[in-house]
This record gives sequence, C-alpha cells and structure tokens, in this order.
Amino acid sequence: MKKILNDPADYVDEMLEGFTAAHPEFYAQPERRVIARPQGATKGKVGIVTGGGSGHLPVFTGYVGPGFLDACAIGDVFASPSAEQMASAIRHADGGAGVLRLYGNYGGDVMNFDMAGEMVEMENDIATSTVLLADDIVSAPKEEAAKRRGVAGMIYAFKIAGACADTKADLAEVTRVSQKAADACRSIGMALTPCIVPQAGKANFELGENEMEMGMGIHGEPGIWRDALRPADQIVDEMIDRILADHSFAEGDRLSVLVNSLGATPLEELYIMYRRVRQRFADIGAEIVMPLVGRYATSMEMTGATITTIALDDELERYLKAPAACAYWRVG
Amino acid sequence: MATIDSATLKTTLQRVAEGTAAAAAELNAADGQLGDGDLGITVSKGFAEAAAADLPADVGLAFLECAKAFQRVSSSSYGTLVATGFMAAAKGSKGSETLDVSAIPALVAAARDAMMARGKGELGAKSVLDSLDACAQAIDGASADDMAGKAVQAARDTLTAFKGRPCKLGRARMFAEKSAQLDDPGQIAFLRIVEAAFPQSA
Repeated sequence: MKKILNDPADYVDEMLEGFTAAHPEFYAQPERRVIARPQGATKGKVGIVTGGGSGHLPVFTGYVGPGFLDACAIGDVFASPSAEQMASAIRHADGGAGVLRLYGNYGGDVMNFDMAGEMVEMENDIATSTVLLADDIVSAPKEEAAKRRGVAGMIYAFKIAGACADTKADLAEVTRVSQKAADACRSIGMALTPCIVPQAGKANFELGENEMEMGMGIHGEPGIWRDALRPADQIVDEMIDRILADHSFAEGDRLSVLVNSLGATPLEELYIMYRRVRQRFADIGAEIVMPLVGRYATSMEMTGATITTIALDDELERYLKAPAACAYWRVG
Repeated sequence: MATIDSATLKTTLQRVAEGTAAAAAELNAADGQLGDGDLGITVSKGFAEAAAADLPADVGLAFLECAKAFQRVSSSSYGTLVATGFMAAAKGSKGSETLDVSAIPALVAAARDAMMARGKGELGAKSVLDSLDACAQAIDGASADDMAGKAVQAARDTLTAFKGRPCKLGRARMFAEKSAQLDDPGQIAFLRIVEAAFPQSA
C-alpha cells in the first residue's frame, strides 16, 4: 500500500480536520463526523442532508453549501455512518421546515437513515422525507430500477434539491422535485484499476495490466464484463448506448451530462470522453446544457470514469442553473 | 409484576448484558460457521451499552435510549435490527412512566413488524424474525405470570422447528446445504437474550 497518511485509523478524522480548515467559508464540523454549514441551518428553509461512507470526495461532504446541501454525516471509508450521526446531521440541517434525506441506495445507509429519521421525529419533532438515488443502470435491470445503486447522479440531485429548497418551497415540494431529478438521472461507470481502503491495506479487486471492466460500482462492485482495454470512443459508445437503451433522448431534448473521474483518471482523458459524448448527442439532435467534466464523485484512487445524464424539463433546468456554491462547484 | 417502568427495564437490560456477554463466544462461533463471526460481539456490546445508558423515566424515551445506545456500538445489520425493535417499542409506549404488562405483546408484535420492514425479511426464512414472531404469538393474551415462560419456550421451540431447514435470509442463504444442518445464529442469540431477561423461566 502506498498512501499519504499517518495512522489508517485516523484517516477519516484527519481528512475532515484538513477539509474544514481549508474551506471554513463552506464547512464546519459541529460534531464528530458531521459536516454542516458554518452559519447553521437557514430558518424557514427545508434542510437537505446526505450521508455515506468516506472515500468519495467531493461526494458527499463537499456539496454542503449555499444552493446545495445543509449537512452531511460521514462514515469510515466505504462504510455507513451510524444512525446517531445521521440524526445529528438532520438536527443541524433543521431550520424548522422539515428535512429531506437525499442519498444513495445502499443497504446500510438506508437502514441507518430510516432509523435516524425515526429518532429525530420522536425526540425533536422534525418532519423528514427521503429520496434515494438509484441511477447506476447496470446494477439492476430496468424492471427493478428501485434496486439500483446510487452513484454520480447524486450531484445533480443535490444541486436541484438545494435550489428548490432555497425558494422556501415546503417539504413535500422539495421532495417531489428531488425525486423527479433523481428519476431523470442515468449513470454507468468503467474502471481500469482498483483502489485501496486504508484500513484494509490492499486493493479490493484486481484488474490485469491491459484490462478494463465495464459497469463497475464505486466500491469495486463487479461490473458486466471484463476484457482488453478498448479505445476511448468505443468505451464511450457502449456507455452511451446502454444509457440510451434505458432512457431514450430525441431531437430537441435537453439534458446535462457529467463525465466524472473515479479518482485517478486525468482531466485530459475525461475531455477525450466528453468529445465523443457530445458527438453522440449532437447526432441525436439533443442539446447538452451545462456539461460537467471533472472529479465530482470518486472511489479513492480508482482509475476509471462514469458518465451520467439527466434529462431536463424547464423546471429541472431552472433549478440546475440557479446560483450555488461549494468548494468544488460554483454556479451563477 | 403487573407494570414495568424505566427502572425495571434497566435491571432487565443489565441481566441481558451479563447473559449475552457469557454467551458471546458461543454466538461468535455459531456466526463464524455462516457469516463473519462477530454476532456475539455485536449483541454483548450492544446490550452492555444499553444497560449502562442513563434511561429517562418516560418508558418510550427509555426504549429510544436503548435503541440509540445499541446502534452506537453495534451498527451491523443484526445490531440495527435490534435497535429497530427497541425503536418500535419506543413509539408504542412514549408518553408514560409505567407500562402495563398487558401492553407487551403488542410492543413485541410491533418490533417484529418494524424489523421485517427494515431488514426486508420474511417469516419462515430461518432468522431472528421467526423467533420474534413465535414469541409475539405465544405471549398474546397470556397472563402476566405466564408471559416470561412462554417467551423463553417459544424461542426454544423456534430453534427446534427450523432444524434441517436452510437459511433463506442474509449471508447464510448462500450456504443453503450447510445452513440447514446448523442453528441460525440470530435465533440462538434471541434465545440467550430472553433466557437472560427471565432467568426464573429459563
């Protein structure tokens, strides 16, 4: 294992210490493993919380900020935070108008966040609702879409939910819009190398020197095939074909696209991918709005990329373009 | 004993903490045959934390404190399910400082339903849910004096009833043949919990 760290057991806490110290205008840590806005919850606004394991920065923690999220609970690398940490994040996000829990569809996170919701309802009379991201199209067939994993589509849902909450819409409305955004996302990933969880100390899977895997999950969950590395255009074509088979786009449609590094893939290669993505949607006659290319949702030092599309209507596009700011993404 | 309060709950938790600590090695070994071998640690740590917690006088909030304490130290799936059971009991009893024993069967049934919903588990799959269901049915309508004995007997009978049947839930479902020969670790844990809670009936 080759990593810059002190003790693997301190990895997450030391990361959060540096994270809040580097960006004090966006992030505070009012309690251990809970990140919230430094000025506290916004009175009268629906709060939006997320949570999940470490190892995916800028997701989840990075998207706390104006126009985005209000608080986040952070677990160990690739492990769910506890229900109490999640309950604490909900309390820090509560401005009196209820709190939406917006996060990825993973078993441990779901059980703990449900429990956290029950806790704050009993103890603090905070009304909560849930929207789960289930955008990874290869993790379950379309008929069982609710079983899919949540991956990079979370970025779009955070942005749109945050913008909707900023209008002082009520909890039901923020939940409806967030669900609509989540439902409009489709993602697929591919990987070239594994990553190393610090406390495990070794790679969680192996891929041959000239191999790639299509459809791999952000924790190294198996994909749909493993074979020799292919040229960029072929890789992108398959990813786009699979997305289009799940959600079709027609001439005149509008969408946003995120080409995301899983950690180690450089921007140069992401732009090579985006070039092909743009050609494909130009062929259809669909217009790409606010394309995102960069490192938005990662898996430690995994080499690889994900492509996410979100189909836009006027409402979602308006919220996507509304002003927002965090250390990793500024809009307007 | 016709009513229970926060103090009764605390002394019961202390007995369960001692009982599950004594059974930890047995439970780890049983779990190690089918899973990751930490069930004894999960259960004993969880009850130790709950027994040490400062319980408020409101019985519902006391159950909530148990759920939080358990979850704090045991966030594995079994730990989360136990905490879920406590949470269901909390919801059903919030707002009073004493609880009539006759209310217990409904709380156990509510815990069973909440745990099934949270873990997306079904009855008959050879899991702790079957023990809880048998217990809920056995104590339904029972007198205060008979309730503890019926709970312990139901937990024992569940283990017997599932001998030879494969686990269809959790990680153990991947070893259908092997799991059929073994007792479900979650059901054993449940038996050790009720035995410790009601020693005079064990």
